[in-house]
Amino acid sequence: MHAEPSRPHTLTSFTAELDQLRSSVLRISSLTRINLENAIKGLFERDDDWCNNSIADDEEIDLLEMQIDREGIEVMSRFQPVASDLREVISSIKIGANVERVADQAVNIARRARKLNEHPELPELHLLDEMIKFSFEMFDDAVRAFAERNGELAKGIKPRDKELDRLNRKLTETLVNKMQDDSKNLPGYLNLIFIGRCLERIGDHCSNIAEDIVFAVHAKDIRHLAQANKSA
Amino acid sequence: MNSTVTLTPNFFSGAGRQTSLLRLLRNKFLTGLCIFLSLLTLIPLLSIIILLLQKGMPLLGPNLFTQLPPAPGQDGGGFGNAVVGTLAMVGISLIFSVPLGIFAAVYVNEYAPVSNLASAVRFVAKLLTGIPSIICGVFAFAAIVMTTHKFSALAGGIALSILILPTILLTAEQALMGVPYAYREASFGVGATPFQTIWRIVLPEASPAMMTGIMLAVARASGETAPVLFTALFSYNWIHSLMEPTASLSVLIFNFAALPYSHHVAMAWTASLVLVTLVTVTNVAAQVIFRPKHQ
Amino acid sequence: MIPTYNTPPLPLTNDFVPGESNFIQVKDFNFYYGKKQALHGITLEIPSRQVTAFIGPSGCGKSTLLRNFNRMNELIPGVRHEGDITIHGTSIYDPSVEIIALRRRIGMVFQKSNPFPMSIYENIVYPLRIAGQKDRSVLDETVERCLRSAALWEEAKDRLHDSALGLSGGQMQRLCIARAVASRPEILLMDEPCSALDPIATAKVEELIVELKKDFTIVIVTHNMQQASRVSELTAFFYLGNLVEFDDTKKIFTNPSQKQTEEYITGRFG
Repeated sequence: MHAEPSRPHTLTSFTAELDQLRSSVLRISSLTRINLENAIKGLFERDDDWCNNSIADDEEIDLLEMQIDREGIEVMSRFQPVASDLREVISSIKIGANVERVADQAVNIARRARKLNEHPELPELHLLDEMIKFSFEMFDDAVRAFAERNGELAKGIKPRDKELDRLNRKLTETLVNKMQDDSKNLPGYLNLIFIGRCLERIGDHCSNIAEDIVFAVHAKDIRHLAQANKSA
Repeated sequence: MNSTVTLTPNFFSGAGRQTSLLRLLRNKFLTGLCIFLSLLTLIPLLSIIILLLQKGMPLLGPNLFTQLPPAPGQDGGGFGNAVVGTLAMVGISLIFSVPLGIFAAVYVNEYAPVSNLASAVRFVAKLLTGIPSIICGVFAFAAIVMTTHKFSALAGGIALSILILPTILLTAEQALMGVPYAYREASFGVGATPFQTIWRIVLPEASPAMMTGIMLAVARASGETAPVLFTALFSYNWIHSLMEPTASLSVLIFNFAALPYSHHVAMAWTASLVLVTLVTVTNVAAQVIFRPKHQ
Repeated sequence: MIPTYNTPPLPLTNDFVPGESNFIQVKDFNFYYGKKQALHGITLEIPSRQVTAFIGPSGCGKSTLLRNFNRMNELIPGVRHEGDITIHGTSIYDPSVEIIALRRRIGMVFQKSNPFPMSIYENIVYPLRIAGQKDRSVLDETVERCLRSAALWEEAKDRLHDSALGLSGGQMQRLCIARAVASRPEILLMDEPCSALDPIATAKVEELIVELKKDFTIVIVTHNMQQASRVSELTAFFYLGNLVEFDDTKKIFTNPSQKQTEEYITGRFG
């Protein structure tokens, strides 16, 4: 199993279409990253413009996801890819869907940020710092692993999701305790908990992306390993 | 070989009756019979060759080709004029029959393969291959000798051309049919006329086989007696014109073999040897030189 | 000594008319082999500078229609047609059109490659020679141009005068393509050009077809549907001498309008 496809196809249009599909996926990823950035900016700088940008730009991402699906289907019907090409096309379609969901989470974060901006700043906002950094790094690594066809990097993302889940649980616990002590800022704390949930979901989607990358590169299906091990 | 072939039970055991002695012997016998009969067919050929060599070798020498036939009773001499005469008449026959045969074959095969004319030509050609050679001679006698009031090499040549024309036509047609249709299709596809296709592609490709056919016809014509017998008659002189009686090897053999002079009979044997050698060499040359060139 | 036909030697400069000049229109075309009707009322338009594929099961008439474009079917005795085929507005059956001239403007590649039993050089210049072209420099230039177009120049340039029959199957077919483009036709007809080739040679020829469509209108008959989906922009599906569907290749292979088309493509036929 080769991590890097060695040569272009004799039929150059085939290579060109596969490259086009890959670049669509990279494009949707970069747009999503920008939206995530904008949402967080809107959150910390308490600026609704950034949040609105994030929400508005999601439309382009939705259209891009549909385009990726179309391009993938066209490649499959036109060129009947097999082996690594087939895995790459299927993974690209699935990754596109997962990235779009990450973008949806960015929209959710932006909406919650707008709500938070209506009230005075909460110092507890910075409890989110670690999760934000962690989840964004996971996303960046996932995209990089796709771009580089790096199976090893992708494999390392899944365990990090567990860590992110743990961070989220810790955050929720802390905030729940705070809510019990300080009921005045309850809505604010709830929004923070929701944002934490969004970040945790982003981690889940990155984990899915990583699974698809490992499938494309190494032809291994690393999903649901717990179940697989149980039945084995 | 084993008398009875018994096999230990294995994968092939269920495949049929065991081989028996009788079957094997029958096979051997029939094989041997075929080999024997094949050898038997060689006997006439070998006997002729041996006989020719035996009887014809004594008088063999360069003088045969430079000197004229001896008058009955004389000694020495040769049959140079007969060799020349044979070549001349065969040459004349080719001049008439090759263009005619090839063009007719081209028409029949290329231009109008399914027409009535083509069917008629083919039918007649096949019929004519069986024509007795003496009939060719009689026809040429009536057509040429009677009208020109002369026995001539021309008449002899024409008689021979009638003889070999069907062969040339049919072998030329076979040669043309041997050229793959794909070549013609490709040629038409790029906008060539039928003539261009035939001239540039089909004929060059068919010419080895055609040449073989022609040389085989030459070999046959050289040895025919009946067509030249009363068209070209015979002559004891060198050939001066085509419109005079001309000697030929086959007629020389015919004449000399019946004479009561042993020298002339010996000459007839030698002439036979030369004629057979000529025919054989031409045949072999045809097969060797015009072997198909590409794989 | 060899008679040249009435058409003058072809202009071998680069100025054939682009755009609308080479589109083929088939109008209500019926075709008969003797009593048997092979094509029923075919109507379609083939646009220029694109690859159009004809697909369908054996005996559906796709090759028959293709071979009518350059009137090659008339080599078979007993055929007749009704309806019309026009190229650039001129009917190919117009009395003023000479078949020879028509065939020189249309290149054809056959299923089984059929190079002449001559050298590679002579194979390619044959169309020019029969048109009366003798100028050595023109012939040389044509050979290089055509071999380059057929992606065969590198492999063949050192053995131009060797027999064409010494090439491999894929090379021979590319040579036939080179020969077909020698007289600068505007239209290339290909009748199952890859069916006798192995996958690698097939891929090379397909890549070639995609390259060639920049300069030529290409119509390709193929029984390999996947090939049609790889190389063509338009696909026509024929069945029993009828044109069932004619549409963008993408549409036909993702969502065809006719049920018959869908059944054929998905392998539910027969």
